[in-house]
Amino acid sequence: MSQIFHPAANAIAKGSIFGAVFIIAAAAWVFATLDVSPYYTEQDVSRAQPVPFSHEHHVNGLGIQCLYCHTSVKESAFAGIPPTKTCMTCHSQIWTNAAMLEPVRQSWAEQKPIQWTRVHKLPDFVYFNHSIHVAKGIGCASCHGPVDKMPLMYQANTLRMGWCLDCHRHPEKNIRPREEVFNMNYDPSTDEDLAKELGVSKEDAKKYADSQEELGKFLVEKYHVHKEQLTNCYVCHR
Amino acid sequence: MSSESNISKRAVKLDACPHHDGAADAGETPTPQMWRSLDELANTPEFRESVEREFPVAAGEWDDEASRRTFLKVMGASLALAGVSGCVKQTSENIVPYVRQPEEMTPGKPLFFATAMTFRGYARGVVAESHEGRPTKLVGNELHPASLGSADVRMHAHVLNLYDPDRSQIVNYAGEVSNWNTFTKTIGSDLLAKKSSGGQGIYLLTPTVTSPTLKWQIDALQKQYPNLKWHQYEPVNNDNEKLGLQQAFGLQDQFVQPVYHFDRAKVIVSLDCNFLMDLPGSVRYARDFMNGRRVLPKQGKHEMNRLYVAESSPTIAGAFADERVRVKPSEILGIARQILAGDTTTPFLKGVADDLAKNRGASLFVAGDGQPPEVHAIAAAMNSKQRNIGKTVDYIDSVEANPQIQTKSLGDLVNDMKQNAVDILIMIDVNPAYDAPVDFGFADALRKLSNTPGKRTVHMAQYYDETSFVSQWHLPLAHELEVWGDARAYDGTATIMQPLIAALYQGKSAHILLSILLGAPNRGGYEILREYWQSVRRRDFENQWNKWLNDGVIADSASKPRAVALAADATKQGPQATNSGREIIFRPDPYIWDGRWANNGWLMECPRPLTRITWENVITVSPATAKSLFPDGRFDDYTSKPKMPVLSLTVNGLPELTGTMWILPGHPDDCVTVHLGFGRDRAGRIGGTLESHPGFNAYSLRTSTSMWSASGLGIKETGEESMVACTQNHTNMDQHGRDLLRVRPLHGENPAGEEEAPRTVSLTLYPPYPYPDDVRKGNKWGMVIDQNACIGCNACVIACQSENNIPVVGKDQVTRGREMYWLRIDHYYQNKPSDKDETLEEMAKEAQGPFFQPVPCMHCENAPCEVVCPANPPCTTTKAPTTWCTTGASARAIAQTTARTRFATSTSCPTTTAGSAPKCRRWFRTRT
Repeated sequence: MSQIFHPAANAIAKGSIFGAVFIIAAAAWVFATLDVSPYYTEQDVSRAQPVPFSHEHHVNGLGIQCLYCHTSVKESAFAGIPPTKTCMTCHSQIWTNAAMLEPVRQSWAEQKPIQWTRVHKLPDFVYFNHSIHVAKGIGCASCHGPVDKMPLMYQANTLRMGWCLDCHRHPEKNIRPREEVFNMNYDPSTDEDLAKELGVSKEDAKKYADSQEELGKFLVEKYHVHKEQLTNCYVCHR
Repeated sequence: MSSESNISKRAVKLDACPHHDGAADAGETPTPQMWRSLDELANTPEFRESVEREFPVAAGEWDDEASRRTFLKVMGASLALAGVSGCVKQTSENIVPYVRQPEEMTPGKPLFFATAMTFRGYARGVVAESHEGRPTKLVGNELHPASLGSADVRMHAHVLNLYDPDRSQIVNYAGEVSNWNTFTKTIGSDLLAKKSSGGQGIYLLTPTVTSPTLKWQIDALQKQYPNLKWHQYEPVNNDNEKLGLQQAFGLQDQFVQPVYHFDRAKVIVSLDCNFLMDLPGSVRYARDFMNGRRVLPKQGKHEMNRLYVAESSPTIAGAFADERVRVKPSEILGIARQILAGDTTTPFLKGVADDLAKNRGASLFVAGDGQPPEVHAIAAAMNSKQRNIGKTVDYIDSVEANPQIQTKSLGDLVNDMKQNAVDILIMIDVNPAYDAPVDFGFADALRKLSNTPGKRTVHMAQYYDETSFVSQWHLPLAHELEVWGDARAYDGTATIMQPLIAALYQGKSAHILLSILLGAPNRGGYEILREYWQSVRRRDFENQWNKWLNDGVIADSASKPRAVALAADATKQGPQATNSGREIIFRPDPYIWDGRWANNGWLMECPRPLTRITWENVITVSPATAKSLFPDGRFDDYTSKPKMPVLSLTVNGLPELTGTMWILPGHPDDCVTVHLGFGRDRAGRIGGTLESHPGFNAYSLRTSTSMWSASGLGIKETGEESMVACTQNHTNMDQHGRDLLRVRPLHGENPAGEEEAPRTVSLTLYPPYPYPDDVRKGNKWGMVIDQNACIGCNACVIACQSENNIPVVGKDQVTRGREMYWLRIDHYYQNKPSDKDETLEEMAKEAQGPFFQPVPCMHCENAPCEVVCPANPPCTTTKAPTTWCTTGASARAIAQTTARTRFATSTSCPTTTAGSAPKCRRWFRTRT
C-alpha cells in the first residue's frame, strides 16, 4: 500500500505540533488586541446621527456651556439629552430653513422625539452616576475627551472596566476643582483662580498648579473621596 | 391594685447578636423559656439537628430530579456558546429625549405623587414613587389621617398588581374578544328599552363604595331609571357592626360607625377584634395604639396602656394583649355580657372591671366583625357607660356612600334573580360567584341568568375571574394607579386618587362605566371627577383642586362626630348562640384578604402572622385539639414533621372540605380556623387556576347565617398528608440556654439571669475593624430597635421586597428554606415558669405571646455579605450612616446615645415611622 502522505508532510506535522503553542498564543494575542481595539470598544468611532450635531461648533464656536443642554448632570445619574424644545430655543430664530435641521423641525411639529444614536454605552449591570462624579470634581473631558473638538460625537475612551478602575484606584490623577468641571481645556498650571478654588494661599496654590499629583491628593482629601471604598463591587454593581 | 400582679406588662429589652455574648453554654442545654415552635419546646432530635445546621436540610442540597451532573451535561454546550456570544459587538441603541420635557422632571430622578388605595372600600393615603412615568413603590402619605406616613402589607404590595400580566386585558363577550364600542352600543340599546319602565329590572351590584363621585353618578343613574336597584356585597363586611350600633343607639334607617382614638385610651378591651390589621383604619390605629403604649420617661409618660383581648382565632392583637382569653367564637358573647354586668368571677373579668373603675373616659371597647350585633351593641354601651364617647371613640355617620346590610342585600338580589325579575345585572369589582355565601347559589343563578335570552349580565373586574366566567360581558377594570377616582377614609376624609400611568391594558374605571350607562361614553375620569367636586366646592376651585392633588387629602372633609345616645333596649339580649360541639371560624386571610389579592406573589409568599405559613391556607387547631384528633400518639410526630395530616371538614350539611391541619399554640380548643381567599379557580397563575390552586376554598362552607363561625363541625381524618411551607422553623438559632428575646414586667423585678456578665470571647473569624484613633475621623456606629413597638404585621418585609424588587420563590422552594427575604419577624412564645410536670399541650396552652422580634440586617462589622449588599449598607464605614435600606422595623434608642445621633427614616412600619412618633431606626455613636 502506498503512502497516503508525501514525506514532505512530516515537516508540516512537526511544524504544526511545534507551532501549536505559537498558534494558540497568536490567537490569544489577536483576541486580546481585538478586545481592546476600537473595532470592539468603538473607541474613536464617530456615529452618524439623525442631525449631524456638532459639539465643536456649539461648544467651541458658540461657547454654549455643557449644562445648557445636559441639564440633569449635576443632580441625576443620567446627564440628560436635551428635549427638542432646547434646540428650538435658538433654531426657531436662526437657521430656520437649513435642510440639516429638518428632523428637528419635524420633531417639533409632529411632537415626536428625535432618536439619537447612543455613543457612550455601558452594560445594564453598571450603575453609573453622573452627579457624583461632577460633585467630586471629575471633569466632563476626563471621560468624554475633547468634546469641543468633535464635529460628530465619538467615544474618547474604551469605557472598559479596567479603564474605570484605573481612576477609581487613583482618582487623584483626574480630580480637579469643582469649579472647573465643565472646562474643556482645564490645566491647573494656567488656572489663575486656583488658590481661591482650593481655599489656600497663593503660595500653596503654586505647588498644586505644577503637579496634578499634589493637586489630586489635596482634592481627594478636601472632597471626601473615600478611596478605600471606590473599588468595592457595589459602588458600580448592585 | 389587685390585678396588677397577674397582668404582665411588657418591656422587651434590646438583645445583642447571640453569637457575641452566648458564652453561657456550659453542660446540658436547659429548656428555654422562649420558644419558637412546638418542636423547640419539645426539643425533638429533628429540632436539635436543624439548630446545628446553619441552613434548613434541603436549602443547600440539590434534590431536583435532574442531578447537578446532568444539568452541566445538558447545559455545557449552551453555556460555552453563551460565553462566545459575549464576544459580539454591542448593538446600537437609541436615546429618545422628550420633545417638551415636563417642568418638574429630572431624567433619572423619581417624582412622588399623592394618591390613595382602597381597602374594604375605604381610602388609605399613599405617596407613589414614579420613575419616568412608571410607579414603582407605594409608601404612606404623612398628611393622610389613615396613614400618617405609614403603610401596611397590602399598601406595599398593591403596586405589584399593576404589573400583573394575568390582569384582564380586553373586553370580552361570552368568551369572545370584543371591544368597548360594541359594549357601549349594546348596553345603550338595552337601557333604552328600559326607559319606559323606569329601569325596572336593572340591577347594580358593587362592593362597599365610599367614593363621593361614584355615588353622585349612581344617583344620576337612579334619576334616569328610578326603579334601578343598587345592591352591595363584600364577603368581609361590617354588617354586624352596623346592626349592633343601630341597636345600641336606637337608630332606624341610619347607620353610624366608630372612629377610635387608641392613643387616648389607657385601657382597651377588644372583643374578638384585630384592630391592628383588619379595620379600614388599622394603619392609623396601630400607630395610635403604640403611641399609647410607649413609655417615655423624659416626657413624663411612665405607664403603658393596657390591652385586654377576648378572642377566638388568634390574632396579632391578641398576641399583644396584657391579658387575654381565647375561647370559642360563640363564647365571646357570654364574656361581653359578663363585662356589661360587672362580673368579676375570673381574673380576666376582674382585671377589666378594676381597670375600668379607675379609667372612666379613658377606656375603649372594640368589637370584631365576626361577632354578632349584640357584642357590638355591648361594646357601644360600655363605651357610653364609661363616658368614652367623644374621648376615645367618636361615632360618625357611616362613611359609606350607601350603607347596606350587605349579606341581606346580596340575598335580595339572588332572590330577584331566581324570580326572573332581573333583566340587566351590572357588577363592578365584585366576585360573588366565588365569595358569596354558598347557600345563595349565586354562581348557578348568574349562569342561568346569563344563558337566558334577552337578559344582560355585565361584570367589570380586574381579573377574568369566577364571576366573569358566568357572565355575558366582561369588562376590564383598571388598577387604582391607572385611573382617576376618589374615596373616603375611615374618618370620612376624602382623597382624589390620581393616575400614575396610563392604563396598561384596555381597563377603565368604574366612573367611566357609569358614564357609559349615563349615556356619555366619551367623558374622561378627570372631567367627571372635576365636575362633581366643582359642584360641591365651588369657591376658588382651581387652587383647591391643585392643593388636594398635592396633599392627597381634601381639607375639612372628615366627618363630624354625631351625637348618639344609648337606647333603652341597647343591650337587649338576642338569641344565645348554641355552644355545643366543635366550631369553625371563618376569617379573611391576613394578606390576600377575601381573595382579591390572591394573584399577588408578594402577599402569597409573605409568612402569615402567628402561623408563618406561606402560599396556602390551613385548618388551624390547638395542640390539645390536635391531640384529641390523633389520640394514638401521632401528634408527637406531627410536631416535627414538615408534612401535616389532611383533614376533612363538614358543617351546615354542606359537602366536605379538605385541608391541611396546622397546630397553632394559643388557638382555642375545640374549634378550627380557616382563612378565606384561597382555592380559587380563576385568579391567575399565582392565585389559582382550574388546574391547580393553592389552599382550599373556605367559602364552600360559609353560609349567609354563619358568615363568621358555625357550630356542629365534623372533622375527619383522610389519611393523607401534605407539605406545608412554613418559615417558623427556618433560621433556627441555638439559644444556648439563654433567651434570644427577653420579656419582663415594666415595673418589677427582672427575672433571674437578665443581667449577664459582659462578653469576653469574640466569636468572629475576622480581625477587628480598624477604627481610626481620632474620633473626628470616624466613629463606631450602633443601631437599636424598639422591639416593644413591633406588632408582627410584616409590613417591613414586603416594603423591602417592594423597594428592592425581590422575587418570590414559590411554595416548593420555601419548603426547602430558600425564601429570599432580607428581614424577617421572628415569633417567640414564652412559658410561665411552673413547678408542675406539664405536658406539651398544657405548656403550649399556657404560653404567652407570641412576641415579635424583627431580624433585619444587623450591620455587623466585617460582614461578608456587606460587599454584595444592594442596599449599600454603611456597616463598616466610620462616617455617620446616611443611608439604610428605607424599609425597616420599629426602633427607638434605649441605650445611651451621644449628641451626634442620626436617624434613618423608615417608610414602612405602621407603628413607628415619621411624624410625631420617634423615628424608626436610630443610629448612635458607640464611641466618644
